[in-house]
Amino acid sequence: MNWQAIVLTLELAGLTALILLAVGIPIAYWLTNSRWRWKFLVESVVALPLVLPPTVLGFYVLVAMSPTSILGRWYQAMVGHPLAFTFEGLVVASVLYSLPFAVQPFTSAFGAVDRRLVEASWTLGVAPIATFFRITLPLSVAGVVTGVVLSFAHTLGEFGVVLMIGGNIPGVTRTVSIDIYDEVQAMNYDGAGQTALVLLAFSFFVLSVVYAVNRNVWAAWPMK
Amino acid sequence: MADEITADFEKAYPAGPTIHGVLRVPLGQPHVTVLFGPSGSGKTTVLRCLAGLERPTRGRIMFGTETWFDANTGKTASPQSRSIGYLFQDYALFPHLTVADNIAYALKGMSHAERVAQMHPLIRLLQLEGLEARRPGQLSGGQQQRVALARVLARRPRLLLLDEPLSALDAPTREQVRGELRGLLRNQGAPAICVTHDWVEALTLADEVAVIAVGRVLQVGSPDEVFSRPANAEVAAIVGVETVVTGHIAQRTQGLAALDVGSARLWAIEETGRGEEFYLCIRAEDVTIEMGAPPSSSARNHLPGSVLDVRSAGPVSRVTINCGFPLTASITRQAAQDLGLKPGIPVTATVKASAIHLIPR
Repeated sequence: MNWQAIVLTLELAGLTALILLAVGIPIAYWLTNSRWRWKFLVESVVALPLVLPPTVLGFYVLVAMSPTSILGRWYQAMVGHPLAFTFEGLVVASVLYSLPFAVQPFTSAFGAVDRRLVEASWTLGVAPIATFFRITLPLSVAGVVTGVVLSFAHTLGEFGVVLMIGGNIPGVTRTVSIDIYDEVQAMNYDGAGQTALVLLAFSFFVLSVVYAVNRNVWAAWPMK
Repeated sequence: MADEITADFEKAYPAGPTIHGVLRVPLGQPHVTVLFGPSGSGKTTVLRCLAGLERPTRGRIMFGTETWFDANTGKTASPQSRSIGYLFQDYALFPHLTVADNIAYALKGMSHAERVAQMHPLIRLLQLEGLEARRPGQLSGGQQQRVALARVLARRPRLLLLDEPLSALDAPTREQVRGELRGLLRNQGAPAICVTHDWVEALTLADEVAVIAVGRVLQVGSPDEVFSRPANAEVAAIVGVETVVTGHIAQRTQGLAALDVGSARLWAIEETGRGEEFYLCIRAEDVTIEMGAPPSSSARNHLPGSVLDVRSAGPVSRVTINCGFPLTASITRQAAQDLGLKPGIPVTATVKASAIHLIPR
């Protein structure tokens, strides 16, 4: 079993989930409240990673990060080395890849909060942003937890994007799924099996927690 | 001019009616205006436009010299800046906060001592002692209503807007809370605008009634004026009670009360034993007409008088009788013809004591 890969993967998934918490809440807030007629375009972009093959997403992110692109040049000028094939590059790609897994549960939780509670807060003199933090967010805790946990779990298992962006550098970009693939390629089925079992058990545990916390906000299974 | 709310605005819905709100409400004194009308008449829309939760399509809303909305300049004051209290139909209490936190919700900037000083009298007034730590889900309907009122009053609003304040309550609770609400609205400094479709509620609460139907204000006036002298048939159909007069208690015996109304005396059922001034509400169907002088029976409420007016609509005739006060009776057209009812003819009107609905003033 490759503990280095497991620790690296947990770091990646944890950081990704935290960033998605910070980035996803404003996006979901905007999606819930905006009446812009082209809002569906933004919704589509957010949902793209759900249907796009990870290699396609990985390819575009890789192109965007390359030192020949504006973004890549800018990052290299700031930090001194390119973004591709680094842990930070992996984080950026993971955030994009898991975006719908955070934003969609957030949005449906915010949207499920009774509109009149928000209006009641406004008529009591509390500004819209303060109302969000005092009413909408506390009443959406279950949905927010679901989104964070799902994006964490989703990042744990990513393979295609990691391979495209990070390659396979031990301790830097070699995550669990890459490690398992490598072990199998090297005919080391025992090592692959142990790591795979850890990942399976962990994923099952995480999802059990999510479904136990709340069956209403997000469910791949139909409601009874 | 400066000390009143003047509103004259329209709110158009793409696939629905245009709601036209016209109102004048005096400021700085307790004054309850009731917007009275059937469901779907646009009463709530008028209230939401006043609160800033809805943006009118045309017109202007002035609060004294403050402009709340002006379609010409595009200016709209936010709901936050209007310093109002809005009581929602189902109260909209914050389910994740305790009773105390709900009431203190608008008082965030204050110190703890200030907050307690502001809240405590309200908690006592609204009989919420001991419930401070509960959540809204653990309260009865009447308690929820009182918490919502306390929350609204805690920030000392300049104007109170109440959307069907009693409709979420069961009938016995409503009866009790109605009286409390009336006292409360009379005793706090700000004017109130209250929406209802219940005429008992309208008469109980109102200093002034505005009758609304299909998005228009049809008549504005004092409660007895609007109920007894509806401006037209549409208003009459909406209010549904043909005679509303004021009376003064002359004596009480065994659950009955005698009230002096104009020069007449009527008996009605009154079991509370409280109050001196009442509205007497009598539906036209409950009034019968006999010819000539009152029979010498012991029955109550035989009212001698003369016919003022007879109006027929379809098979029904509406007869107004002057028996010390104007009383409207509804009888079949055939009966009116058989009796030969014409203005000036002496008749006796009879009303059962149990058909007179008393509402304290």
